[in-house]
Amino acid sequence: MKKFVGLFLVLVVLVIIPAVDSVFAAGDEPGEYLDRRVIIWNLFFRMMTVAFVVGAVVSGTMIWQCWRFRESHPNAKPTPYEGTDW
Amino acid sequence: MSGHSNWPEWIYIAVVIALMCWVGAEAWNAERLVEHVPADAEVIKVIAQQWFWTFEYEDGTKTIGDLYVESGKAYKFEITSKDVIHSFNIHDYVVLMDAVPGRVNTVWFAPTDVRTHDIQCREYCGLIHYNMRGTLHVEEPSS
Amino acid sequence: MVLELQKPRPIWQIMFSTHHTDVGLLYLILSLSFLFMGGALALAIRAELFLPGAQIIGDAMTFNRIFTVHGTTLIFLFILPFASAVGNYFVPIMVRYKDMAYPKLNAIAFWMIPPGAALVWLGFADFTWYAQPPYSIISAPGPAADMWIFGLKILGVSSVLGALNFVVTILKCKHPDMSIGQVPLLAWSFLASSLIILVAIPTFAAALLMLLTDRLGVSGFFNPAMGGDPIAYSHLFWFTFHPEVYVLVIPAIGMMYEIIPRFSRKPIYSYNSGIFAFVLLSIVAFSSWAHHMYATGMSFTEKTVFMVGTLAAVPASAMHVFNFIATMWNGRIKFSTPMMWAVGGIALFFSAGAGGVANAAMPLDFATHDSYWVVGHFHLFVMGTIAFGSIGYLYYMFPYVTGRMYNETFGKVHFVMSFIGTILVFFTQHILGLYGMPRRVFDYPPIPEWIAMNQIATIGAMIIGISMIIFLANMIYSSGKGKLADTDDPFGLGGKYYYPFEAKNPKH
Repeated sequence: MKKFVGLFLVLVVLVIIPAVDSVFAAGDEPGEYLDRRVIIWNLFFRMMTVAFVVGAVVSGTMIWQCWRFRESHPNAKPTPYEGTDW
Repeated sequence: MSGHSNWPEWIYIAVVIALMCWVGAEAWNAERLVEHVPADAEVIKVIAQQWFWTFEYEDGTKTIGDLYVESGKAYKFEITSKDVIHSFNIHDYVVLMDAVPGRVNTVWFAPTDVRTHDIQCREYCGLIHYNMRGTLHVEEPSS
Repeated sequence: MVLELQKPRPIWQIMFSTHHTDVGLLYLILSLSFLFMGGALALAIRAELFLPGAQIIGDAMTFNRIFTVHGTTLIFLFILPFASAVGNYFVPIMVRYKDMAYPKLNAIAFWMIPPGAALVWLGFADFTWYAQPPYSIISAPGPAADMWIFGLKILGVSSVLGALNFVVTILKCKHPDMSIGQVPLLAWSFLASSLIILVAIPTFAAALLMLLTDRLGVSGFFNPAMGGDPIAYSHLFWFTFHPEVYVLVIPAIGMMYEIIPRFSRKPIYSYNSGIFAFVLLSIVAFSSWAHHMYATGMSFTEKTVFMVGTLAAVPASAMHVFNFIATMWNGRIKFSTPMMWAVGGIALFFSAGAGGVANAAMPLDFATHDSYWVVGHFHLFVMGTIAFGSIGYLYYMFPYVTGRMYNETFGKVHFVMSFIGTILVFFTQHILGLYGMPRRVFDYPPIPEWIAMNQIATIGAMIIGISMIIFLANMIYSSGKGKLADTDDPFGLGGKYYYPFEAKNPKH
């Protein structure tokens, strides 16, 4: 369990501190305007990258287990519950 | 039910919660940047009604259907409606805000490319909602 | 009660019965009829949008009426009554009671639906299922609009009565030997969704009355010309109908909880986390309603609060997905038709949820709000998750209701075509939304990307349409002429089913 606590500490450092940094670093100079297209679509594509990675893991897992645990698979064996009144 | 170890589920939930925190923080930060209106933005009043757009500039002139702006400047839209709810949308610049009768909503943008873009209504407003369109003309800076 | 079609009874015996399986059968027939009627409207919409310009549907007004009735029908006359059908058949059995707690109230709740449905369909209103003022007050033509308001009023009362009945049946009528922590997850899902209905629906009932008096001109709650605020309606509406999303999806997840362990030949991985996620979902359902209204001019703080409230629903939904995957793990899975629908439904549930997270992120609303992205997103829920779970469950309960087996091959063809069609229509609509096409439009300018995307979506819709015809033929033919089912174990899985024929009612 301690390993995971450490992992989350690293995540906190990697994600939250840069976010806080960029929040307080952003200023507004006259004549230099933010391009809302850049901000919004950047956010969108970053989120889609994460969503597609997670989606690949989840649907990959599901496709694999549908293939592996189908009853016609050569290695399929009865579950411990079969033949009982569970 | 109980009796078996459930640690994979706890790790999974922790990862999901961490991801949601990241999404929330990123979105919060981007929204903060987008909502900050520059102090020198020029105000354009946008008045929606079934089924066309009227634009009123700072010098008092009005145009219907066509919106003229200069590239390199910031503009703040003050959007309202005369009858039902519409939604003012310049999709190419990701500008979107509802036009609600009795309220003034604001949104700002700074055009950069000299060309024309579509303006459309994105909230259902009746018979000709599908054709409540206008054109944004981004022109060379005058000065 | 069971096997109606093998031992025919006069139809009025079913119609005037208060027995839970008879009322369940009525709910089932009504909801499936409206599935096909609402689906036909969807095909008309997609056919019209195949090319820019007016082709199939002559004018914008007819088009607007069609999508309004399409939405109202499939939510209130297909999904909700279908869940009630399943609940009526199975909840009393699962809590081991002879019937619903209030059988007459149960029949009354059902018989309120046909008049409500008639008002919606004969009126054919045009103000979208959202009925947003001031359009619905000052612009929408009557009497269609007023008929819609009365129709929804009746349907709302009907679902409150139905929900009340489920709550009392589960909490008060369950067998004394059985603690609430032993009630199957399908029954738990009905408890959770019924409690949401009881809390959420009264708000919309009040909003409907206010809308009606506004239309009559005697009040001005939502009419800015009389000092009212149309955004107040949005709050009242979404306070009911965001939780309503969970009312629709929770029973569908409950149905998957019945199918997936059964066909994996393994008990559910974690019963307790299923209950926990249901309860958590029904609480956070009420913390996110205003994420539908980011573009109405909300303040930064309000938006942040509702974004956090929306994201809070994700861990609970993710727990369900985890539970399903962990249940299938190490199982011996038989891919009969119900299992295929359930697994397909989970896959699409994930996609819909991921799109929902993107919607909740405030700045992305500028890009996606009221565009086809939103249409694609919520249809992935209502079609991809809820209808998939429901249709899977329909195949699962088919041998019980009719005593016969459906045609397995056509069931699988139905699934494969619907799955491909759903992906073609609704994934494409997400992209169409990113290109900026607004929703609820009768016509669109001839932008090449828009045309291409619309054509892919229409082809997908037609594939779903064909699969639904196969489905209808399969259901009708098999219920009369299908091969007799082994009612103890129709799917050849072993174990004990929750099939209601264990409950014997001396009257039948």
